[in-house]
Amino acid sequence: MSGALSGFTVIDLTQGLCGPFGAMRLGDAGAEVLKIEPLRGDSARTMGPPFIGDESAVFLSVNRNKKSLALDIHKPEGQDLVRRLVAKAEVLLEDLGPGEAEKLGLGYAELQKINAKLVYCAISAFGEEGPLRNLPGAELVIQAMADYTNSLGRIGEPPVRVGTDVASVNTGIFASQAITGALFHRMRKGEGQRVSVSMLGTLLHMRGIMWTAMSDPDDWYGFHLDHYTKPPDHGYKTKDGRVYFGLRRGDSEDWDRLLITLGMTEQLGDPRFADFGRQATSIGRYAPDVKPLWEEAFKEMTCEEVVKLIHSFNGDAVAFLDYPALMTHPQVQELKMIQELDHPTAGTFKTIGPVWRFADTPAKMQSPPPTLGQHTDEILTALGVSAKEISQLRASGVIG
Amino acid sequence: MPGILDGIRVFDLTIAAVGPWASKLLGEMGADVIKVEAPEGELSHVIPPPIKGTAVLYISANFNKRNIVLDLKQEGDRATALKIIEKSDVFIQNMRPGAVERLGLGYDVVSQVNPRVVYVASSAYGRTGPMAKEAGIDPNLQALCGWCSITGQPGGQGEMFRHLAHLDISTSTMIVEAVLQALLARERTGKGQKIEIEMLSAALSLQSTRLAEYFATNQQPQPMGSAVPTTVPHQAFLCEDQKYIAVGVVEEDQWPRFCRALKVEALRDDPRFATNPQRVENRAVLLPLLEEQFRTKPVAWWVIRLTKEAVPNSRIGDYDSLRYHPQVTQNEQIVNLETPHWGTLAVDGLPWKFEKTPAGPIRPGGLKGEHTEAVLRELGIL
Repeated sequence: MSGALSGFTVIDLTQGLCGPFGAMRLGDAGAEVLKIEPLRGDSARTMGPPFIGDESAVFLSVNRNKKSLALDIHKPEGQDLVRRLVAKAEVLLEDLGPGEAEKLGLGYAELQKINAKLVYCAISAFGEEGPLRNLPGAELVIQAMADYTNSLGRIGEPPVRVGTDVASVNTGIFASQAITGALFHRMRKGEGQRVSVSMLGTLLHMRGIMWTAMSDPDDWYGFHLDHYTKPPDHGYKTKDGRVYFGLRRGDSEDWDRLLITLGMTEQLGDPRFADFGRQATSIGRYAPDVKPLWEEAFKEMTCEEVVKLIHSFNGDAVAFLDYPALMTHPQVQELKMIQELDHPTAGTFKTIGPVWRFADTPAKMQSPPPTLGQHTDEILTALGVSAKEISQLRASGVIG
Repeated sequence: MPGILDGIRVFDLTIAAVGPWASKLLGEMGADVIKVEAPEGELSHVIPPPIKGTAVLYISANFNKRNIVLDLKQEGDRATALKIIEKSDVFIQNMRPGAVERLGLGYDVVSQVNPRVVYVASSAYGRTGPMAKEAGIDPNLQALCGWCSITGQPGGQGEMFRHLAHLDISTSTMIVEAVLQALLARERTGKGQKIEIEMLSAALSLQSTRLAEYFATNQQPQPMGSAVPTTVPHQAFLCEDQKYIAVGVVEEDQWPRFCRALKVEALRDDPRFATNPQRVENRAVLLPLLEEQFRTKPVAWWVIRLTKEAVPNSRIGDYDSLRYHPQVTQNEQIVNLETPHWGTLAVDGLPWKFEKTPAGPIRPGGLKGEHTEAVLRELGIL
């Protein structure tokens, strides 16, 4: 059968990365996503360079499986059209900021009168309560506030962010969960509701292990605690690159033979290497201190040789990959996550496909990201707006 | 009011972080999660630090569950497991490919006992391919999946995110999405199904926006400290008091407001900086001007100015500043949890709010096997 969310229509009023990423996942699962953009376009359309043709590469990566309706939600006629679309939809997703949708007559209380079973999802930057509720967010700003930069870089040096857009992308996923969960409830119990997520809430949730660790630890060690003070971790240097490795617990014979093979016989009696090296590799307590000893042993070996050696002693080892190496890695190719889409103006481009593999309700790449307003006429015509009304709305700057 | 997954039972055979965090989220949505452990206990028990003897990872990843012990290598306990599965809606495991089949709980067996079960098989690298049999812990994935290669000081080597659980938990969240979708589909079809998901796929999906830069240019994106290639200004600036402020101008209408807050109106009217693509192209000219300006006043001043102008900004937060921060407490993003075994803990708040079917309340999980008898009695198995 088709995707799990097929037959559901989502009105997506979000811009940037977070909301659009979440809405894209609903589209991957089969929902029809109607992306409502301001006449100047979603802000992500100007994120770049790089551009592919006229389209931002970043924009293209979070907007497949959607149709674009260019519409000014600040004009009463635009708001009226949104309400008419909502009347026929199951889901509305917005990131306008706490209280803003209400000012436009698009708040949940208003829309619920039109569509009692609507699932309404609001995304905010810092949360809908509190002194910062009206401050807009940005990826780095949320990462920095949420303590993420403290697990990177070195004390006294400029902050380092997680390169990946975790605040935006992970919040999009929680939005997708909240919406799908609310649809499940609606299907079982027949009622809609308002749900909400925030970028700060997301990152603080995902770092929960750290808060718990710091509550009352028996001792101050372990990665949940010493991440603040450890130096940057670049893995282990070899002749031609860097590796990361660890051994499994409980195999002393393998452990001793590994040290002997690497010429690290002095370490056989080194207390930091005791207990099968649990504290001397990977996340171990002494791993940063003894790193030079490992690197000395790996100095004449290639990455591939180190990985093979560790594997032969029942350990786990991987090479650090950059993006070009990642793309040609056989395991990545096996997963078939890199897919191509044909865009009407940008041409063929690569992107990361849907993540889940469902036996019966497969996720799909249904359509490329839309150009701005590509489906304005189609969507409004389906809504019953006449060709004459459409050209009047366009002339008066309500739609694009 | 019951949660969204009220009445949904989860047979939870997960270990370490990826699986347990997924079932924890399902528990927080109201599902009855039964965590099944082998007598020797799962992997996370030995990961430091402990609180009153229990590993923090185990405590943190197992809220809103009941804990039972079954020795699935024994026929009697395996039969008990199948009886629980008969009364379950979701089966979730994250063992290496082949391991759960060896325990006799592969999809074939489970779906025969209960065709309505949503069955999650989560692995590190997938069921096939050269790395299928390898264990995947978060740091291994970080190294492999490329995300270290874009993170670090400018001109430096890529580095690991020392919170070694983000790729784990990110995978967990994608599992939860899939489970919810499959439960929804089951309402329509009456049937369960098998879902497969890998940490590696999840790590690629998480990097969609950054991989897009590589696909577009065929150039490796370089580590840029706190900055990014595609938006300017969007980085941390050093202030007069040697503290940093994080700032992001991510919407075009924020640029004039940013210039006003910074008292650099001349830059607002400079055609080289009029749009984000132009600021990206001319970043080498613009950024030194902004850096110079930020250095003239302490961080507190810029926070006031930028906040008044509604420009995204923040100081660098940490545990101490966050735990009692009114923004965090009023939104319950970090909350206090009273526990019978470990005292009062600061824990992650719920990541979503459902207004009609509230998630939570967050409940501490148990010790290994704490609820074996109670659960088996309740299900009429004992």
